[in-house]
Amino acid sequence: MGVPRDKIDWCPEIDYDKCDYCMECDEFCPHRVFERRDGEERKLVVANPTNCVVFCRACGKTCGPDALSFPDKKETTALIKKLREELVQDG
Amino acid sequence: MGNEKYAILPCNGMDKEAGALARETALRLSARQAGEIVCPVLYHRSAKKYGKLLESSPLLVIDGCRTACASNLAKESGARITRRLNITDYLKGRGIKPGKSLELSTELLDETHRILEELLETDSEEGKAAIAADFTAPLEYETFTQDKYIFRVPRQGFLFNENDCWARVDGTRARIGISDFVQNSASDFLFFEPPQVGAAIEQFGEAGSLESTKTALDIISPFSGTVVAVNAELAEAPETINGDPYEKGWAVELELADFEGERELLMDCPSYLGYLKKKVEREFHKKERE
Repeated sequence: MGVPRDKIDWCPEIDYDKCDYCMECDEFCPHRVFERRDGEERKLVVANPTNCVVFCRACGKTCGPDALSFPDKKETTALIKKLREELVQDG
Repeated sequence: MGNEKYAILPCNGMDKEAGALARETALRLSARQAGEIVCPVLYHRSAKKYGKLLESSPLLVIDGCRTACASNLAKESGARITRRLNITDYLKGRGIKPGKSLELSTELLDETHRILEELLETDSEEGKAAIAADFTAPLEYETFTQDKYIFRVPRQGFLFNENDCWARVDGTRARIGISDFVQNSASDFLFFEPPQVGAAIEQFGEAGSLESTKTALDIISPFSGTVVAVNAELAEAPETINGDPYEKGWAVELELADFEGERELLMDCPSYLGYLKKKVEREFHKKERE
């Protein structure tokens, strides 16, 4: 994208009221975005948000209770374009 | 698909409302088309029972929720899914949130009419979808290998996003597909769910989805635009993508909305080749560490 990954706010958000800790998303994601926390109340967390591939929403498709959400695509695209312009201006 | 009758494998509808609606939709479609229902419980117990039916009829799977038991059942039994509908996703698109009740509300019963109309209408549109522009110029490829895997990237004429999806642009139109990296990682594709012809797609929005023996993934569109054609061959032979992801394995054709404004976020062929090499190295090193 021509922008440092940590400047782009794109990763899944877990709705803990819906999540049933089936761990399908964690089993699916090859980028280790999630981490399991056995013995804790929140047994699954988004531990590595910048590992998430920007605009990928594939883990959400595996979620039976629909507990994963993502940022708005258009807003993210606009932010990336803005950051790119700033980088060009800064030379 | 056209006017063929489906074999219909629905969710059994005994867990929650979306499932009950999947079952109801299957029954009504079956009555309307004189198509046959594949009982999920009996199919699970004895797939052989439906062997002949599934050899002779295209299979429509209607899932209730995203657990997608019916789709998974079909895949585990080795059946080829021709078409698939997920009721929860459909209702989400209509702004309706299904609940837990197994007794369908009047509102949801009304939805079955709409779902059936859309299903049958899309079938006839897909039948007419062979209006693709000419994208037949032969391609030359850059190639590199990693272990047993061979990766190809066209030398020119394509633009890629970081989701490993490509666009081949010709005038105001573009074909969209997935790269060799995705097909190598995903293994053999079993199912392609195309977007509707006429649908508007956003840049980085979903332009259909794919399922393989290993995984499920969305095709993330490099450009925004209107779907003018889908590759009908992929319904019958989704494995075409594995053999030829950049030419015969194209997925969707778009009438572009903003080529100049959107291309800056994409990579050209040499840039993608560099990106891909790094990605492949990373993936293989990760596997070695594991």
